[in-house]
Amino acid sequence: MDRDGSPGMILEQGSVLRSERIAELGTLLAIRAPGIARTARAGQFVHVRAGPGFDPLLRRPYSFARIDRAAGELELVVKPLGPGGERIAASRPGDALDLLGPLGTGFVVGRQTTNLLLVAGGTGIAPMRVLAEQESGRRNVTLVMGGRSIHQLWPSSLLPPTVEYVATTEDGSFGIAGRVTDALPRLLGWADQLLACGPWPMLAALQRIRDEAARASALYPGRAALMDAQIAVEQHMGCAMGVCRACVIVTSEGNARVCREGPVFSLGEVAFDAGEPATVGLR
Amino acid sequence: MGGRRLRKPVERPIDVSAAQEEALEDQAGGEEEEDAQELAELDEEATDAELATGEPEPDRAPSELAAKLRAVTSGARDVEQAPPPWRRAAGAPVPETGVDLAVDAARGLRLRNPVLTASGTFGQGVEYAELIDVARLGAFVNKGTTIRARLGNPQYRIAETASGILNSIGLENPGAAEVARKYGKAWGALGVPVIVNVAGHAVEDYVAVVRAMTGTPGVVAWELNVSCPNVEGGMLFGCDPFLAAEVTRAVKAETDLPVIVKLTPNAPDVVAVARAVEEAGADALTAINTVLGMRIDVARRRPALGAGSGGLSGPAIRPIAVHLTYQVAQAVSIPIIGAGGITSAQDALEFLMAGASAVQVGTATFADPEAPLKVLAGLAAYVRAERLGSIREIIGCALPPRAMESDAAID
Repeated sequence: MDRDGSPGMILEQGSVLRSERIAELGTLLAIRAPGIARTARAGQFVHVRAGPGFDPLLRRPYSFARIDRAAGELELVVKPLGPGGERIAASRPGDALDLLGPLGTGFVVGRQTTNLLLVAGGTGIAPMRVLAEQESGRRNVTLVMGGRSIHQLWPSSLLPPTVEYVATTEDGSFGIAGRVTDALPRLLGWADQLLACGPWPMLAALQRIRDEAARASALYPGRAALMDAQIAVEQHMGCAMGVCRACVIVTSEGNARVCREGPVFSLGEVAFDAGEPATVGLR
Repeated sequence: MGGRRLRKPVERPIDVSAAQEEALEDQAGGEEEEDAQELAELDEEATDAELATGEPEPDRAPSELAAKLRAVTSGARDVEQAPPPWRRAAGAPVPETGVDLAVDAARGLRLRNPVLTASGTFGQGVEYAELIDVARLGAFVNKGTTIRARLGNPQYRIAETASGILNSIGLENPGAAEVARKYGKAWGALGVPVIVNVAGHAVEDYVAVVRAMTGTPGVVAWELNVSCPNVEGGMLFGCDPFLAAEVTRAVKAETDLPVIVKLTPNAPDVVAVARAVEEAGADALTAINTVLGMRIDVARRRPALGAGSGGLSGPAIRPIAVHLTYQVAQAVSIPIIGAGGITSAQDALEFLMAGASAVQVGTATFADPEAPLKVLAGLAAYVRAERLGSIREIIGCALPPRAMESDAAID
């Protein structure tokens, strides 16, 4: 795998097909973009221009939430963050969207994985939904999703019926009261492989469980899945082409660009600091 | 991986949708689910994609992943690996074919056209080569390079502002020797002249970078970054005419290639710095680097950027850059390379008419990777439409008459 590069990356004028609000999670945009859909993989993302001008200036990165190669369609979960995000989220069917992608690295599902555990928080559901659709036909898939309340959860009607869906809410308005990590203990022993995407505190909590497993014996439930877990991370991004170095995070191998070496990393290689990405050059 | 395990005891389906619909009156209707055939297709395609990317679908261990990352961060990129999407045969006509766009971007540096890319917005040239035909550019300026590797500044490193961005990357780069080793071969093959942006804390640092990178394929000039606002001491050189002249003189003594000095708008007297470095032997000036700025993250009650302040770029600073180009052009006789918020040929023409001989497109590339080539095509169209003999005819045409005369006298 070429981790430094986004093979197949192109600029493409996408056409918005559908727009649907997913409660307070964001807007689900369905976009016709056959060129990008052809090579896109779960975990990779697309950098979307916020209109034809230069204000707002920066593109916005969104992880694929559905990849339909046959139909040449993509779906994105767009949170209306900042003027650019607001503008993209307000796209209507028929609108053109300037897309750059697919970018970055994707998740790799092991050939021998029988029981696949997906963990999502917030808009981190996007790549997990792609994986759920892709993998549910050939292995057992369980998706754990957490939100503050039911309004931040992904609708189960937009998941394949064969995927087991475990929901957690912090306010107890639906499913298990608590966070995704509260639902994990009884799932870890089952899982052969764990893939996750969500806010930094969620990923940091996962790494703490991994550290605990690393110190424990081989009998720790789900130890192998934790040790090999892959996560997709978010970071403020500039070019998404690997040139500006705005999106770097610290890993065990040094600085890594989320847009090129990531967004998918091994859970064990990412450096955290109090629930946030560890940062360089503190002064 | 062990044998098959029993499914764990969790009932399904848990219908979040139904409960959500009860909770939300404005819930939109659900999308139709894919049929089984489509899902099967997706499955097959996924395997194909994995094969296409050369991914053997391994059970990935962290050590393997780390090894891959290590291989990539230490190894050279192979730009010839896959054909880029633009695929132009060498010599095939492009919009600027047949138009005289050649300019002297510096003393001793004639470029085929006046469109460059600005340092820090175009990496090492190879990244955007995957997306656009970089061989059409007049030149590209690489990411600020220091003698020793730098890890850069804390997060966040970027924030959006009205018609612009603030950045404080902190000159993250692998160091001069590593840049030369890693990209020299690719630069030689890119088909576009390379200008190395040289940064440092002390005069010796600048000289050391130039020494370490002399002879690197493709390199035609040095741009001295005496104006980086994101590094301690980086801007010191650019704010003080005496120090700026000292570093210019030292680098000139080290190299036969043209030396370009990038001016900072944050200097108390930009024109005095320009005069001083011209006197010290600079072959051109870049006007301007970013403007110091800050945003406060109201929710977190602290500066948005990890380093506090940062450099403002983009269309927001264009009038400042045009103004300084206009001022400096009247004070010096060496070429000026205009930079600051250029997004279109119209913007570039403002700088050329204000006295710049070439321009750098920077931040606009983040929004539109094709922006530099669109500027180039637009300049060619302008020369044609205005029936000019060459783009050089309009350089400095908006300057006051006296400056025009002195320019003519030097020619």
